[in-house]
Amino acid sequence: MPTPPVTGQALSGPASGRAGAAEDDRVTSDLVWDGLAGMSEAEERPARDARWSQMMARAQAGDARAYDALLRECLPLLRAICRRRLSDPAEAEDAVQDTLLTLHRVRATYDPARPFRPWIAAIAERRALDRGRGVARGLSRHTVLEAAEHVGAEGDAERRLDAAELRAAVGELPASQRTALQLTKIEALSLAEASARSGMSMGALKVATHRAIQTLRRKIGKEP
Amino acid sequence: MRTEELITQLSRGLKPVHRLPSPLAMLGLWCLFCAGVIGAALLVSGLRADFAAWLMDGFDLYHLMSAALVALTAGYAAFQLALPDRDQRWALLPVPAVVGWLVTMGWGCLEDLARLGPEALQLGISLPCLGFIIGLGVPMTVAIVFLTRHAALLRPVPVAALGGLSAAAFASLGLTLVHELNAAVMVLVWHGIAVLVVTALGALAGPLLMQRAAV
Repeated sequence: MPTPPVTGQALSGPASGRAGAAEDDRVTSDLVWDGLAGMSEAEERPARDARWSQMMARAQAGDARAYDALLRECLPLLRAICRRRLSDPAEAEDAVQDTLLTLHRVRATYDPARPFRPWIAAIAERRALDRGRGVARGLSRHTVLEAAEHVGAEGDAERRLDAAELRAAVGELPASQRTALQLTKIEALSLAEASARSGMSMGALKVATHRAIQTLRRKIGKEP
Repeated sequence: MRTEELITQLSRGLKPVHRLPSPLAMLGLWCLFCAGVIGAALLVSGLRADFAAWLMDGFDLYHLMSAALVALTAGYAAFQLALPDRDQRWALLPVPAVVGWLVTMGWGCLEDLARLGPEALQLGISLPCLGFIIGLGVPMTVAIVFLTRHAALLRPVPVAALGGLSAAAFASLGLTLVHELNAAVMVLVWHGIAVLVVTALGALAGPLLMQRAAV
């Protein structure tokens, strides 16, 4: 007998009986997955779950390509979770990034014998919740970024990115501010020394440094 | 920074990680560590003088068993909750054991009261007892906080509190082997206070320690 064409209904029956698939995040995933209906047509949920688990297991073993592909595939799910909790799209996107940084740090805690979706969804829920509480803006984000610094020896990704961002912002400062910043903050010279080196007055140095820091703060910290 | 760029950065230079042992394996490790610490405490202080007679006493045995159960269930719950995808209700796992522990102590109090009369209610101050549990419990809490440090970004407070409870229960267990207390009221009060102190310290300082340990 020829097998009938596979439909969503035909697959979801036996699949929902799969042991361990009845995870405790149904609240999250069902809503979110409804939102991703367009994608799930191409591939059924259980098959994708199994594939995600495998990809994460490979990522734990150091497979960067599997990790990259997995995170990209998970983005719509993460965005859906964060947007459900946060009305501001920029805030939601920040929560998605917080989620990625957190999951990167705790990637050793994933057990490939268990479904991947509840694991990543739980992390996203938590980061979105933190953002929603407003805790994240100051403390958590700082912590996440700071803590993420040690992820990978040559791969200190966040730090490199931060450094690149900072360098770009410093590059855009007026020359006098840049000099002032360089001498007083980076080389940590005293005002008198900095004044001698730059030919700027101590007052001018103070003002320029202050303005430079204000500008950087605005650019890096507050900009959406 | 765009999220897609972040992903590129995260996957570039990805390092392999050792998968975390299962909560049960972590519990085993934790128990071994605590057994070592209690063993060391026994070497220093020696067994209690009335050890043989005490072994015969049913109440203390129940007390011991319920303390052990608190230590095990609180520890297991901490290791479960330290993982992102576990149900929050794991936090309730040690509740029956804690109730049982209180009941055995309360029962001991009633027995003392029946045997000794109002005299049993006289409360001595047992600072060495308090000191022992806190002195042993706090370093042990640090150890379990280290074992669960990956919870720093997830739910540090319940994990650290449960870790503290487990450590304090182990310490109280150790104390029972070392120190004799003549009245159950004293056991109840001093063990209770000490366990509360260690658990609270765990909940307050544990999350900070986790952050440190995880960095």
